Amino acid sequence: MKAKPVEWTDDETGKLYTYPAGKPNIFKQGQIIYAQEGCAHCHTQMIRPTYMGYESWRPDFGKEGTVELPIRIRETRSGDYDGEQFAYLGVQRIGPDLSNVGYRHDEQWHHEHLFNPQSKRSFSMMPSFRHLYDKRKIKGQKSDSALTNAELEDDEVGEYEIVPTERAEALVGYLMTLKKDDPFSNLSEDKSENNKSDVKAK
Amino acid sequence: MPQDNVAQEDIQHRTAIDRSVRFPVLFFITSAAVWLVVAVVLGFVQQMKLHSPGFLDHSSLYFLNYGRSNPAFMGALIYGWAIQAGIGVGIWLMARLCSAEVKNPITLIVAGHFWNLGVLIGVLGILTGHGTSIEWLAFPKAVWPILCGAFSLVVIWLITMFHRRQDKEVYISVWYILGACFWFPWIFITANLFIHIFPGSAVAKAATNAWFMGSMIYLFFAPIGLASAYYIIPKIIGRPVHSAQLGYYGFWGLAVFGGWTGIQKFMGGPLPAWMPAVSGAAVIFMLIPVLIVTINQLMTLRGNQSALNSSPALRFTVAGISFFVIYCIFSALSSFLLVGKFTQLSLTSIGTQILAVFGFFSMIMFGAIYFIIPRLTGSEWPSLKKINSHFIISIYAMGTLLIMNYFGGVWQSSAYAKFDAPLENAIAAGRPYAIGASVAWGFIVFSTLGFLLNLISILLRSGRREIVSKFVGHQESSG
Repeated sequence: MKAKPVEWTDDETGKLYTYPAGKPNIFKQGQIIYAQEGCAHCHTQMIRPTYMGYESWRPDFGKEGTVELPIRIRETRSGDYDGEQFAYLGVQRIGPDLSNVGYRHDEQWHHEHLFNPQSKRSFSMMPSFRHLYDKRKIKGQKSDSALTNAELEDDEVGEYEIVPTERAEALVGYLMTLKKDDPFSNLSEDKSENNKSDVKAK
Repeated sequence: MPQDNVAQEDIQHRTAIDRSVRFPVLFFITSAAVWLVVAVVLGFVQQMKLHSPGFLDHSSLYFLNYGRSNPAFMGALIYGWAIQAGIGVGIWLMARLCSAEVKNPITLIVAGHFWNLGVLIGVLGILTGHGTSIEWLAFPKAVWPILCGAFSLVVIWLITMFHRRQDKEVYISVWYILGACFWFPWIFITANLFIHIFPGSAVAKAATNAWFMGSMIYLFFAPIGLASAYYIIPKIIGRPVHSAQLGYYGFWGLAVFGGWTGIQKFMGGPLPAWMPAVSGAAVIFMLIPVLIVTINQLMTLRGNQSALNSSPALRFTVAGISFFVIYCIFSALSSFLLVGKFTQLSLTSIGTQILAVFGFFSMIMFGAIYFIIPRLTGSEWPSLKKINSHFIISIYAMGTLLIMNYFGGVWQSSAYAKFDAPLENAIAAGRPYAIGASVAWGFIVFSTLGFLLNLISILLRSGRREIVSKFVGHQESSG
């Protein structure tokens, strides 16, 4: 079931848009892995409005921006979860929010991070998801998707490689589709309502 | 003398009732205790993993990763221990209060086998990577019909006992047990149907899940726990409940507000704003029945505080009620935006569940078990020392968990709210508190093992045989 589409106008261009913008683009198979591995027990997928905290300004929750120059992302809306089996809004934040993680890193980063989280962030509390990766003998050319941060024995280097399994590919595929920021401006809606009431007051 | 004859008949009747419920009640309580040990061991592992990802980090132990051990722990704690202990205690209370023997107890044991089978499949399913990651419903999808069928059998047996009751007047505990009998299937089936079977928006399913958790606490754990407290406190003190009228108000208050709670968990989330608002209001209103119940119990206890020293069952029950009051006050506070924004998505959210299930419900169940088992086995607890250490360690551990999870959660949320600070700060903020909670879990494992050993030895009849148990109640009433 989908959220009811809402129309909104861009103030600058005057163009009419609908929200949600299009077909939901969620990798369902990957969401099953996300559930089975229990990612939702440490990561949220819910950006709250500013009256509940300033997390929408966090660069590590959003898609761009830096600590010095943060860019606000909007809070999540029910239409953002269209097409999902279950909205994993989350329990607690042991790690960062993943609503917009699809913008933050590339697939290779995710694979290497899942394999050895501390190699990417030394302070991470995330466990290794080694069981989603296979160690195999290199035949011919090394695979493009082989991990660069794999810990191999000295005599195995150059002979073996570590590659993602289907489950890892699905999980990362899902993470890459997490972009809960379909343009929606409730600002323009509010403005028009304010304008109306102003007119009435006059 | 005729009076003696009546008393003699009364005792014989009560013994006959105890004999008829003996096997099903012992079965449910023993298997619950075993699941409790599984749960607390998993609880310790998941708590360690929360702050030290290197703990038990072997390639072959991937199934203990936090994402799997946490839901497995919760599943074992709730379905293996809490609900099962609740069923055992509920059957015994119902039989005693309705003065009805259990006919055909084998059916109850069969239901118990199926329940345990369901929980076993569920917990192993989560650990082997087939869980759903839906809080309190994380078992693989195929498990809930098994649990539902097993529980229905128990409900049918409880209702037939109620029908065969000998007194016209219905005691308040029976109200609570009957309430829980209907409410649990209602919330469990509704939640599972709406989440697993019916199509619906993803966010509505998340809201259903939050509602399920709130309702489980207020419409299953609270009524069974209060039913036990309403029986055990007056029984041990040896005088009736202070006010039956207040008891009924408390019951109806719970019934009216209980089913609205839960969704305040997602305040500020992607749901229509009225949903968390209504739930939050219901949780705040819930303070009324809780206040009523507490006053009623305190008034019953008044002047008999010394009984607390002589009866472990009473001590556990009173501790459970105290944790229930703390839980309700904290939940009400967290329903305000000002507090909720700090407690919502942090260590506090799991801490609150632990407070309700372990602090409140388990304490009351321990009290009831310490009271019931000697009556069913006809022998006394072999070690009073173990009971006392179980009590003291449980209280200290729960208190520590409370402080760690609440302060840690607020601290962690405040760190995330500082948007211009690096992620490292926010992640490190909760760590010391998670370490503190691990220490508490270590103690809980230790005390729970003591509880299980004590239970096994009384079941093997190594306890002293006495006709009148020390735990029957106050010395005066037994003398």
